Amino acid sequence: MSAPHVVVIGAGSTGSATAHDLALRGLRVTVVERGEVASGTSGRNHCLLHSGGRYCVTDQDSARECIAEARILDRIMPDILERNGGLFVALNESDLAFKDRFMEGCEACGISAREIPIQTALKMEPFLNPAALAAVEVPDGVFEPFHFCLAFLATAKANGAVVRTYTEVMELVTEGRTVTGVGVRDHRSGVSSTIGADMVVNAAGPWAGKIAAMAALAVPITPTPGVMVTMDSRLNNMVLNRLNRPSDGDIIVPQRATSIIGTTSWVVEDPDLIPIPVEHVAQMLASGRELVPAVGQVRVRATVAVARPLVTRAQADSRDVSRTFECFDHSADGLEGLVTISGGKTTSSRAMAQRAADVVCAKLAITAPCTTQTTPLASYRSFYQ
Amino acid sequence: MTAESVAVDLEVLRYRPGEGSRLENFSVQVAKGTKVLDALDAIWATLDHSLMFRRACHHSSCGACAMRINGRERLACVTQVAEAAEEHQPIRVEPLHNLPVVGDLVVDVAGFFARMTASDLVITRSAEPELPVSVDPLPASLSLRQVVVPEDLDRFIRFESCIECGICVSVCPSMAADDGFLGPAALAGIHRTREATGDATESAHLLALADGDGGVWRCHSSFECTASCPQAVDPAGRIMSLRGQILARRWGRMWGR
Amino acid sequence: MKVAEEAAPGLRRPSRWLDLRGRHEGAWAYALNRLTAIGLIAYLYVHLGVLSLLAHGPSTWNSFLATTKAPFFTALDAVVLLGVLFHSLNGIRVVLTGVGVAVRWHRLLFRSLMALAAILFLVAGLLWSIRG
Repeated sequence: MSAPHVVVIGAGSTGSATAHDLALRGLRVTVVERGEVASGTSGRNHCLLHSGGRYCVTDQDSARECIAEARILDRIMPDILERNGGLFVALNESDLAFKDRFMEGCEACGISAREIPIQTALKMEPFLNPAALAAVEVPDGVFEPFHFCLAFLATAKANGAVVRTYTEVMELVTEGRTVTGVGVRDHRSGVSSTIGADMVVNAAGPWAGKIAAMAALAVPITPTPGVMVTMDSRLNNMVLNRLNRPSDGDIIVPQRATSIIGTTSWVVEDPDLIPIPVEHVAQMLASGRELVPAVGQVRVRATVAVARPLVTRAQADSRDVSRTFECFDHSADGLEGLVTISGGKTTSSRAMAQRAADVVCAKLAITAPCTTQTTPLASYRSFYQ
Repeated sequence: MTAESVAVDLEVLRYRPGEGSRLENFSVQVAKGTKVLDALDAIWATLDHSLMFRRACHHSSCGACAMRINGRERLACVTQVAEAAEEHQPIRVEPLHNLPVVGDLVVDVAGFFARMTASDLVITRSAEPELPVSVDPLPASLSLRQVVVPEDLDRFIRFESCIECGICVSVCPSMAADDGFLGPAALAGIHRTREATGDATESAHLLALADGDGGVWRCHSSFECTASCPQAVDPAGRIMSLRGQILARRWGRMWGR
Repeated sequence: MKVAEEAAPGLRRPSRWLDLRGRHEGAWAYALNRLTAIGLIAYLYVHLGVLSLLAHGPSTWNSFLATTKAPFFTALDAVVLLGVLFHSLNGIRVVLTGVGVAVRWHRLLFRSLMALAAILFLVAGLLWSIRG
């Protein structure tokens, strides 16, 4: 008997990592993606490889997940990471007052954090606001989001997975109360067809709700956009964060030859086309200048808004929603054969994939363990071969 | 509050294998200050989900959205709609040259990536000791400042400037006429790898590749790659520099050195 | 490293290097260099053909020479001279930049050499008209 067939919907970071995990466990995997790899939320990423420092006070589950995953990614995809560390910088009394809680939080989550003299910080980051009052160094990093997804998918393909880009899911095919496949339209050929599946994984990010709705299910996922402003120069080597609770415009992520200021947070209905609020851009530039005054001297190269797929719980403010992830086995809703994996961050996508694959394998009686923690990924360049 | 919206007209090359190609006109509303990629996103989201184009980062870091806009190769994510509309009405959008077209604006980058693999280019390298780093000219008011690397980090690193977008391959007339050519990006990659590697064997292998059948001697000095590179990689300058290195080595050998 | 063959727009075509939309001096130089190369080779064969008339005796040759006095042939000579000037001077640019000389100033080099080509052409025209 051949291995069970799993269809993964979405070739963003979660879907890509899930396909990789399942293929490693010996399953037959088909990934369907309506656009290019990483053409949705994952591509338009802030590129931040979280040390967990950002969440160590407000959301310690996320923080622990981040530091563990950052260490794993460092082993399996070292070539597509800039591991230069990050600084949490205090600019006022309120920030300073937060420092002790921050240090405690880092310690509680196992994140190595150390305060460095401000003169040292200014030598490392000469464009940092010279009026900074304190700086704490953490092991933050930066990744290349497109290559991140390509590397997972290239490895999955090497292990037998099939990746069908420009193939859009039009319906979930059900028999009774079981999902038995997906109806897709292949935009390359214009042909509609059905792909049979023993299990379907919904990894459509902020669009996961739309997929679930095809089976008349609701998932508590809120498309929550953020605005990022990319400058046309790189003004910092390390990630620069404001030393305080996460808020709007409190982080500047350097990447390649740019610095990316982020981010804001609001809620939309339709993540397909998100208008960028002009005041958000102005706000990013203003708060970016607080951390790095030279932001005012360079030009804006691009402004981007993209929806995070946040899993909503009881809280009202989108900033307070936990950034950790959730795996929904829809048999709890009375529908077999469908699993939704959502929430989280790119940094945690490998762990999300592991959770989703564990659920899928348990349901398919596959006992192979997860080995993604220790399997180095293939070159992103091999994806297109 | 969102920016004032403007109407933009585009003619987009549509193609499917076996069906030939045609230009299709679209008209969409976009916010003022929008980029051509945003306009394509708007067409896709509001008018036609079958429009195929590559896109990921939307801020000129991933290289996916390279295409020909009004006949000139550019990254759609950083090309202003207003600027393109001034050049030509409607804005004409076509796929890159010299790479097989998969559908609409999507080209097959397999051959291109295989050449990049052959160049051994690793995307993460030691960064310059100064900031800022920019592919555009820096404003006069900003001077370079020295960076001190912390003791427990042996270096700061940075992704390579080359984003493997394929623009240099599309503009290269030698590439258009010659199937076996490694092309500007891969040769620039070889030059860059030789700059950065300490491995003499790898370095010698790469120089032999650059001197080989598909190497630097197939370049005909049109310099279009350097003129079009959105990331200031200067492939032509690097190709010429490789030629200098090859000639120097031959000269040395001639005298038994 | 062959790319997959498919009859599609954007695929390599022999004439692609002639598509100069959006291009700069370098691609023009490349295209003109190829065209003049083809032209000069064609001229070489015509030239050899003309010389073979010598084998048919003095009268054939003399009557041919008489026909070459027509303005059409003068114009043809001018075209050949332009082709030779462009091809050789651009060749100098390709050789110089190709071994690393004046790479940064390749545009200035191209324009200067083309200016030189124009001057040489005018000088040749002047000499021709003086000699009449």
